[in-house]
Amino acid sequence: MKRNWRASTPLALGAVAIVLLVLPLSVKSAFVLDIFIRILLFAFIGTAWNLMGGYAKQLSLGHVAYFGLGAYTSTILQIDFDISPWIGMLAGGVVAALASLPIGWLCFRLRGPYFTIATIATAQVLMLIFLKFRDFAWGAEGTTIPNLGNAPLMMQFDAKSAYYYVALGLLVIGLAITWLVERSFIGYYLVAIGENEDAAEAIGVDAPRMKRDIYMISAFLTALAGTFYIQYIYFIDPATAFNFSISIEAALVSIVGGIGTLWGPVIGTVLLETTSALLQSWLGSRIGGIQLTVYSLILMAVILWRPTGIMGFLREMRLRPWRARPAQA
Amino acid sequence: MAEALVIRNLSKRFGGLRAVQDVTFSVGENETLALIGPNGAGKTTSFNLITGFFRPDAGSITAFGREIVGLRPHDICAHGLARTFQVAKPFGAMTVLANVMTGAFLRDKRIEAARQKAREAIDFVGLSAKEQTPARDLTTIDQRRLEMARALATEPRLLLLDEVMAGLNPSEIDQAVALIGKLSKRGLTIVIVEHVMRAIMAVARHIVVLDHGQKIAEGSPREIVEHPEVIRAYLGSGYAHVPASEAR
Repeated sequence: MKRNWRASTPLALGAVAIVLLVLPLSVKSAFVLDIFIRILLFAFIGTAWNLMGGYAKQLSLGHVAYFGLGAYTSTILQIDFDISPWIGMLAGGVVAALASLPIGWLCFRLRGPYFTIATIATAQVLMLIFLKFRDFAWGAEGTTIPNLGNAPLMMQFDAKSAYYYVALGLLVIGLAITWLVERSFIGYYLVAIGENEDAAEAIGVDAPRMKRDIYMISAFLTALAGTFYIQYIYFIDPATAFNFSISIEAALVSIVGGIGTLWGPVIGTVLLETTSALLQSWLGSRIGGIQLTVYSLILMAVILWRPTGIMGFLREMRLRPWRARPAQA
Repeated sequence: MAEALVIRNLSKRFGGLRAVQDVTFSVGENETLALIGPNGAGKTTSFNLITGFFRPDAGSITAFGREIVGLRPHDICAHGLARTFQVAKPFGAMTVLANVMTGAFLRDKRIEAARQKAREAIDFVGLSAKEQTPARDLTTIDQRRLEMARALATEPRLLLLDEVMAGLNPSEIDQAVALIGKLSKRGLTIVIVEHVMRAIMAVARHIVVLDHGQKIAEGSPREIVEHPEVIRAYLGSGYAHVPASEAR
């Protein structure tokens, strides 16, 4: 039974891929397409967060620092130096990865909630820096991205569906990296660190180095999302690029979907973003704050009843004793 | 006999407490040495000093000819010293196999090779039937077995076992004693911290007794149970059945 399920996985993945590729062609509504793009983008941010926050259980709530650094790096390069955001995106990733070194050096001295608080603080400090230094980052007013019409080389497209494909590409990259990590010793090491850092050290795991390296990768990927988002909305200011809710969302979609699993952040994002979009379109502004209330309720329900998230729930379902199981013992 | 571990004038204090004071002893290769003493004598602190979890205030630790003070725990493990913890620290969310594979990756980063080596270690400690069990669902003795398998998978030359028999019933203690005997036969040097005297007498060739952070006696098991200072500080007069029976 298990073998059948495994064998059908590539088929299922193929089917999903085709649906995802054709989807924007059949959707005419810009509103719906926007929701799809948001889902892909936040699934990608969640996937980047999950590498460190999920597998190694280093609960960062400061990932927006790298989102913002990526956004500002590519925007500064584009506006001041006329460099394409495609290159700026990679440059932003490098800047974020480098920034994660001193930030990690500071924050990883702390464990548990203290680590989390320290990551929040570093993101806030970065936002303040971009808020105060008007000379190189336009201060609080921010700036609009010059509209060049349809300029794919400058990451600007007439068709909204093009943004959809870029976001999809990012998500595929994030999932591929996660898949590789999960299937190598790195995945084992990260989970071991998350479970018990001392025990991991005792069997030869260089925990500080592993955490530093995975934090760099996570920061790099998060920065790519920052560049994309700013190019998508054509506007940047510190409040947008360093919005605390992005840090929250990155952690939230992973926790709801199932931390430390490949598909957890994707499933979590689909659930949360769809719920929020539906609530918005049905209720609009009639009941203020309803969206946040529902978010909180979902989070509470997951933490109370299914701390392993939706993925954990599905796995338990599959392992129920009354289900046919492959002969083992 | 070549020395596997040489500890000289080791000292560590926590604030006003001298946890380990000027302790000196050595372990020969393929020897099994027991570290005993009352609670708070500094046994576990010594382990933490040897394995790099604490940094000593003074003294030197040489393992297989290399000074290891200042090395980090994972470096010390790579140098061939593996330990278990007094309170077992399994990776609860991982299966037994995955736990042990994590140890095996130290010497070989390939998945298949690590899996094979992990299976050997799991088989060695007798945990094969529970290979796919999540570690958090194991019983106490199985968690200890798992810790041992995980340590063995790192291919150590010296194994430090911290109270692996605490909380086990008599038949489980016999199993653990047999396991340690098997490890010793494989050529491993073993340092064991233990309270179960019956087990110590069965496995150790040499015993070091600590009290209040200081070494108060050292010698063969027979010498130790007759040592007046050890009886006063640790064993209690009721235990001294060997000299007592001889006296009668």
